[in-house]
Amino acid sequence: MEPMIEIRKLTLKYGEKVAIEDISLDIPKNQVTAFIGPSGCGKSTLLRCLNRLNDLIDDVSISGTIRIGGIDINDPSLDVTELRKRVGMVFQKSNPFPKTIYDNVAFGPRILGLSGRSDLNGLVEHSLRAAALWDEVSDRLHTSALSLSGGQQQRLCIARALAVDPEVLLMDEPCSALDPIATAKIEELIADLKTRYTIVIVTHNMQQAARVSDYTAFLYLGRLVEYDLTKQLFVKPSKKQTEDYITGRFG
Amino acid sequence: MADGTKFLAPGESYDTARPRAVSRERVGRRRLIDQVARRLVTLGGVTIIASILAILVVISAEVYPLIKPATASPERTITAGLDSTPLAAAVDEYREIAALVTASGVHFVSITDGTESPATPLNGLNSARVVGASPLGSGSFVLGLSDGRVIPAEVKFPVSFPDGRRRVDAELAMQDPITVDPERHPITRPAYASTPNGPVIAAAVSSKELTLVTVTETKPLIGSPVKQESCQRISLPVDGEITALALDGRGEDLFAGTSSGQVARVDLRDPNSPKIAEPVDAAGRVGTGVSALGFLNGDRTLVVGSSSGAVSSWQVLQTAGGDRRLVKIHDFAPHADAVVGFASSRRDKGFVTADASGVVHLHYGTTGQTLLTVKTEGDGVTAVAFAPKADGIIAVNAAGRLSHWTVRNPHPEITWKSLFGKVWYEGYAAPAYVWQSTGGTDDFEAKFSLVPLIYGTLKGTFYALLLAIPLALLGALYASQFMHPTLKGILKPTIEIMAALPSVVLGFLAGLWLAPLVEQVVPGLFLMPLVLTPLILGGVYCWRFVPPALRKRLRHGTEIALLIPIVLFGAWLSFRLGGLVERVLLSGDYRTWLLNVLGLTYDQRNSLVVGFAMGFAVIPIIFTIAEDSLANVPQHLIAGSLALGATRWQTAIRIVLPTASSGIFSGIMIGFGRAVGETMIVLMATGNTPVMNWSIFSGFRALSANIAVELPEAPEGGTLFRVLFLAALLLFAMTFVVNTAAEIVRLRLRRKYQQL
Repeated sequence: MEPMIEIRKLTLKYGEKVAIEDISLDIPKNQVTAFIGPSGCGKSTLLRCLNRLNDLIDDVSISGTIRIGGIDINDPSLDVTELRKRVGMVFQKSNPFPKTIYDNVAFGPRILGLSGRSDLNGLVEHSLRAAALWDEVSDRLHTSALSLSGGQQQRLCIARALAVDPEVLLMDEPCSALDPIATAKIEELIADLKTRYTIVIVTHNMQQAARVSDYTAFLYLGRLVEYDLTKQLFVKPSKKQTEDYITGRFG
Repeated sequence: MADGTKFLAPGESYDTARPRAVSRERVGRRRLIDQVARRLVTLGGVTIIASILAILVVISAEVYPLIKPATASPERTITAGLDSTPLAAAVDEYREIAALVTASGVHFVSITDGTESPATPLNGLNSARVVGASPLGSGSFVLGLSDGRVIPAEVKFPVSFPDGRRRVDAELAMQDPITVDPERHPITRPAYASTPNGPVIAAAVSSKELTLVTVTETKPLIGSPVKQESCQRISLPVDGEITALALDGRGEDLFAGTSSGQVARVDLRDPNSPKIAEPVDAAGRVGTGVSALGFLNGDRTLVVGSSSGAVSSWQVLQTAGGDRRLVKIHDFAPHADAVVGFASSRRDKGFVTADASGVVHLHYGTTGQTLLTVKTEGDGVTAVAFAPKADGIIAVNAAGRLSHWTVRNPHPEITWKSLFGKVWYEGYAAPAYVWQSTGGTDDFEAKFSLVPLIYGTLKGTFYALLLAIPLALLGALYASQFMHPTLKGILKPTIEIMAALPSVVLGFLAGLWLAPLVEQVVPGLFLMPLVLTPLILGGVYCWRFVPPALRKRLRHGTEIALLIPIVLFGAWLSFRLGGLVERVLLSGDYRTWLLNVLGLTYDQRNSLVVGFAMGFAVIPIIFTIAEDSLANVPQHLIAGSLALGATRWQTAIRIVLPTASSGIFSGIMIGFGRAVGETMIVLMATGNTPVMNWSIFSGFRALSANIAVELPEAPEGGTLFRVLFLAALLLFAMTFVVNTAAEIVRLRLRRKYQQL
């Protein structure tokens, strides 16, 4: 197993409140890793550490190291926009920009300075195909992204993230607002995407974690309780807490 | 479980399971309160709409008479027993007595009951008959006699109030006859002017020859005044024979119309050597002659009536070369027959013309409009008179039949064109937009163009927004996207307090404190953007080389405080540089330089000062609304953009700004509305001169300030009064249109972005 992301002794505090405590974890390349755990266990915070989106929040202090592809992402000399280009993210609530479908996908390449019409066209098509959305929207690329259905919007957000060609794709409960059919499509997509990208997914839904992920980390109250192959963790959890959670005794 | 709770049995309806704690009375009371509240809210809304409509109705009611067309109603027709065809007519200001000139002299006829008073015998008439008369309208005139003499005379209508009732009398004052033509040709077309130096009389003595008699009165210290008459003969280089004469009241220009349609001008400014100018074709059509000539009130505009019925107005204008030329200003609606009568109003630029078939037209000289057409009963008109208050017309025919109309035409000077178009005013070289509601003399031509005022309003708004929009929007963008929340918590209320500053205080400060201050540092002010921009950018660039360790010590967002000394230094530097630039490049005084090089004058109270003061008033409005809408852009959109590798600036410009565009737009529009309606600042910080240029160094007069300036001096019900109400209506319409358009755009933008 070749680690893409190495997290060592990561502790994160919001002011005095500890959100993540002493987490160490290796996330393998080209695999799907799921973070599960009850609400407030720090799984989304941990995910947001990976592209330093927590920087937006005041009073955050982080200790420990995170290396992505061998680079310390908390290095002060690191350009955070460069990091976020390498680590794409899909959010819990689909958040297409109030622009056309085309402009949504082209947004990332454009801010990185790509402006050639044909380059952009190719990239938009490629990204939409990769997100399995091309066939549905190819005839209305220049209509508002807000006219799409919820599932389509979420896949558009995936296409948008893929357009800047990241190495890692973070997904923060990408299906929590979707119906089962749209969810199935996204899950199918995740399975396709892992050949090219390292995917980290936060989910509330344990069936989903079991279905899509190769590795699963169970977090509880800011601590990593158990991290193992998904098959292993769901079939034979080594910790009692994990077993209680996945069998629905609490959560 | 509480005691009042009951469990539903299967099949039991919900209603019975209602908790007992909520009694029926309570439900009823709640329903009642709900209904009363709803009615109250509805009432409030309806009251607001009704009061706005009421204001609109009141304003419109004041404006409506402006656009009401002129009307004439016929009064009693009188037939006076005259000994000959009346040559000229006049009427008193109460329209009770008409004066008619006939062969035997001047007759006074009561218009109300038809009684005639005996004609005053003329001094030294002897066997001669009266054969011509100059217009009676302006008071003094001359009667031309059949033996080559003229009698200067004056008709007066003294008004007295015996027993509290009004009584109008008529009297004729006359002087001794003056011999104009020693060859004793009849004087059929005399012209007369009473100048400060003495009377001037002109008369046609043959088909192409004029006689000009100048009477110079010199008053010696002792004894009676000495009159000295000088008589000159002028031969005109015209085709056809002289058919009409007109002499302006200053005795400067004599006009002669001919049967070939020409008008020749004789310049009498040097009475000893009259200069004859090139005749001008004025009748409009070949083969028609000039049949009537006359001046409008003020004697600046000449009206030419032709034998074909055409009526036109003319002015003597100074050309670029310095010589004076007769130029046509307006053509009026033509008559079907030859124009035989002319009379001008003595209070405005209106006049009436009558034709041989008995049709009388009422025209207005400023606007070029023909306002009214009336027809006399019976045939022909030989003389017309326009009542001194411009409220009645008298027309007399050859048989002495006297037709009388009451005219209702209180606002003849107002047309859409005179309000919003270019108008060729008296003494102007070309049509122009002018606002000048009053003047020093009675014969002043009121100029009611609203265009300079609208221009002023837009100019003030433009300069205010030029300052306010960039500052307010960039400030709002910074405050909402980059500023530390603690700092923003202080900043926003502070800026909102700016809006609470009374505009009279702002105007006062701008006019009396800021304007003199700005005047001293104008070059520095204009250098400021050039100096500050590189300084700030340089400062930001240098910040990048500060070691990260040092940077981390400053709390995120507080590094902006470091810019304050840079900005202060930049301002100081610009003012110093401004002084230097003024000395070295602008030859020591920027005002002289502006005038010599750019042709701009510098007014101390100018648009720059208004821009600062009104910008200050508008900034809080735009800032608050824009900041609210920028801050309300959903956080997940910003996170989405940042997660794609966009910088905070890229996110602010490409995502936040467009998403908040509806709010920003309405903020700008509300700021625009505030600037358009703002009165005190523009009143106090501009010179209020209604000029039309975009120069930032000159003042202007805004619609709102104009109302404030002129309404206290406008007589109620007068034209100015109503035009000011029209200006108010216009202001209302402008803000209404802008606000409505803004609302439509805002809703459209919001619909575009609402599903976020």
